[in-house]
Amino acid sequence: MSSSKQTSAHSGTWKRWVTTQNVVVAVVIVLGVIFPLVVDRPRFWLPNIGVRTLWMGTIAMSLVFLNKYVGLLSLAQMTFAGICSYGIGYFSVTMGLPIIPSIILSLGVGSLAGYITALIAVRTKAIYFMMITLALSQVFYSWASQAIEVTNARRGIAPIPRPNLGFIDLNDITTFYYFALFLAVLSYVIFRYTAKSQFGLAIQGIKDSPERMSALGYNVNRYRTAALTLAAFVASIGGVILVFDRNQVDPSFVSLDSTLNILVVAVVGGIGSLGGVFIGGLVFALLQNFAQDFTDRYMTLTGLVFIGVLLFFPAGLVGLGPIIRRLFSKRAKTSASKASSDTPTVERRAGTHNKKGQHK
Amino acid sequence: MKSLLKKRLLPVVAVAAAAGLALSGCSAGGGGETKEIKIGVLATDKGNLAFGMDEAKAAIGVSMAAIGGTIDGGEIDGVPVTIVYEGTDGTSASAQTAVKKLVENDGVDIVFGPVSGDEGETVVQYALTTPEVTYVNGSASPVGMTLAGADNFFRFHGDSAMWMGGLGDYAYNDKGYKKIYAIAEDYSFPYDNAGGFFSEFCAAGGSVTGNSWVPVGTTDYSSIIAQIPADTDAVYVGLGGADAASFLSQAVTAGVKKPLVGGTIAVDTTALSGDANIADVAVGTIAGGPVPGPDYSSPEWQAFVAEYAKQPKAFPSPSIFSILYYNSFNSLLLALEEVKGQLGSPDQKDLRAALTALEWTSPTGVIKLDANRQAIVDNFLIEVVQGADGKLTTKQISQTSGVKQGTKTYDRFEGCPN
Repeated sequence: MSSSKQTSAHSGTWKRWVTTQNVVVAVVIVLGVIFPLVVDRPRFWLPNIGVRTLWMGTIAMSLVFLNKYVGLLSLAQMTFAGICSYGIGYFSVTMGLPIIPSIILSLGVGSLAGYITALIAVRTKAIYFMMITLALSQVFYSWASQAIEVTNARRGIAPIPRPNLGFIDLNDITTFYYFALFLAVLSYVIFRYTAKSQFGLAIQGIKDSPERMSALGYNVNRYRTAALTLAAFVASIGGVILVFDRNQVDPSFVSLDSTLNILVVAVVGGIGSLGGVFIGGLVFALLQNFAQDFTDRYMTLTGLVFIGVLLFFPAGLVGLGPIIRRLFSKRAKTSASKASSDTPTVERRAGTHNKKGQHK
Repeated sequence: MKSLLKKRLLPVVAVAAAAGLALSGCSAGGGGETKEIKIGVLATDKGNLAFGMDEAKAAIGVSMAAIGGTIDGGEIDGVPVTIVYEGTDGTSASAQTAVKKLVENDGVDIVFGPVSGDEGETVVQYALTTPEVTYVNGSASPVGMTLAGADNFFRFHGDSAMWMGGLGDYAYNDKGYKKIYAIAEDYSFPYDNAGGFFSEFCAAGGSVTGNSWVPVGTTDYSSIIAQIPADTDAVYVGLGGADAASFLSQAVTAGVKKPLVGGTIAVDTTALSGDANIADVAVGTIAGGPVPGPDYSSPEWQAFVAEYAKQPKAFPSPSIFSILYYNSFNSLLLALEEVKGQLGSPDQKDLRAALTALEWTSPTGVIKLDANRQAIVDNFLIEVVQGADGKLTTKQISQTSGVKQGTKTYDRFEGCPN
């Protein structure tokens, strides 16, 4: 008896994990894992599409996290990633530090930048928050373009070769791709875990009603600062992938164009979905690489895709899922009702009865 | 027994077949006969250098017309040549994406381009990782590109320091400028361009009264003009495009009476055709670069200009980009003709040997390569004059032959470059 109880508890826990969302995530991760095995020219597909999708997605995911759970639209996420990239270039190339301490220090610098930005911007909200983060990112861009002693101005820091970390050699593009995939999945897990933690619930509460949470004794600004710092940390993880993908760092990393690209990736993927950004990243990477095979006006094509997504899928491409599901369920319903109208009344009644019985 | 024989025989047959296939594969692919040549062109088609692609196509069109081909390809000694184009926006990021796509996805044998200096430095770094592909530069001009040690990278035009070759001496000795104030945009091209000028000027005995490095896109020069010391003999203007035009019109308003020395892209048509009446300050400006003045005439130049004018989307006269792209592409084409379309193996060694040994008379003078696969070229000094119709134009002062690359790359500097 007790063993059957245990089994049912087990299967309950197990069932709790089998949600549509988790199944989709698992499928996407599996697709990510087999990606290098199915593409015909890995030396093109892995860096130009795979790794690019992963760093754009990771950085855009930090933007989506802030928007979804904190209610703040930050335009400085690309800048935090760029600061981390600059850190790796400065510590490892300019100062000659070993690569692992350089990466750790740079993640710290990227997060610190997020913390400082939060101290300045956290008291504002909506459009004002967006403008302040945009302004700060532009300040950093101007500084990076000028500060020749630190950033080597426009020329940037190059080359920053992919390192051999001892236990893993990132020089091999397939290994590097899996390293990037691991970091992207790790970032996703961090955000999912955070969102479900007490801290995550508190920031979601703050998003819905800062006054009420404040009345309950929560220090609203401190929570927001912590969330922004965490998002900057994850953006910095994206910056690690980015700098080893590009093998250099220059001011174009933190330019307005790059910032807006991340926003486009987030919106195309789905601004309300943590995982959807990778679809946005994939679409964006494909457009960047192949749009000009179809037309000379490929920037226009990219713009049209963006407008199309906004018009037809306001929730982003990830919003396609529910739409398809609704279509299917509608079709299933119509076919079911059609089938039921064909069946004799007695059987239908019996069916209902059976169902009820099962339910009991 | 039979089955045992079968079991043993099968792997032997399989291995033999595989070896045979591999060998035949080797003789077809690795044995060296080139069946087709694919050239991937990198050029800018958006951003502030968006016209780069049209100019590149015009230049390639001129060159390909000579062998009966078009901008999409042709034939060299029976070997078909295909040309594919990849647009960029002039940044290192887009060049990196585009060059990887050309090499890894489109499978090109030769990469031709890019346009901007930022792109060039990135492409050279990528060239180091793909030794099997040959790279011929388009118009990117940072000094360091041919000093990076990429054996597969060739540049058939001068770098931006070489473009100032002869101007420093001319300014000091002929014009008598002893002290110059420097205003230049804050990025790699002006560093090298100004570095080339000031190293020669300072070596001749001149001195620098101050340097202002301004961000690209600066529109207000009033505070900088106010900083120019009174005892300055001339002002060096290392600006380009709209920035140069803004500076010239504000220099008129502010009453700058000093003569000017222009960087290579300061006195192009954009700056000289500005709305304001800039003749007061612009006339007498001297500059150096790879583009001869309008009064220059050689049979090769005339032939090029005539053929260029026939190209779709051609400018009224060839820009610096079309000239550099033409000289570079034609060098490549001549080398391909030399090897009769056979690139050689391993690593296209026949083509590379032909490129290295090439010497020909281009529209802008004789071009040959040094040991770093960097061209030794002619350089031109020009001066801005007012034409009979009152319009500003340029006049050629001199043509220096055999200008060689220095071994120094420049960064932002204060005073004279170190």
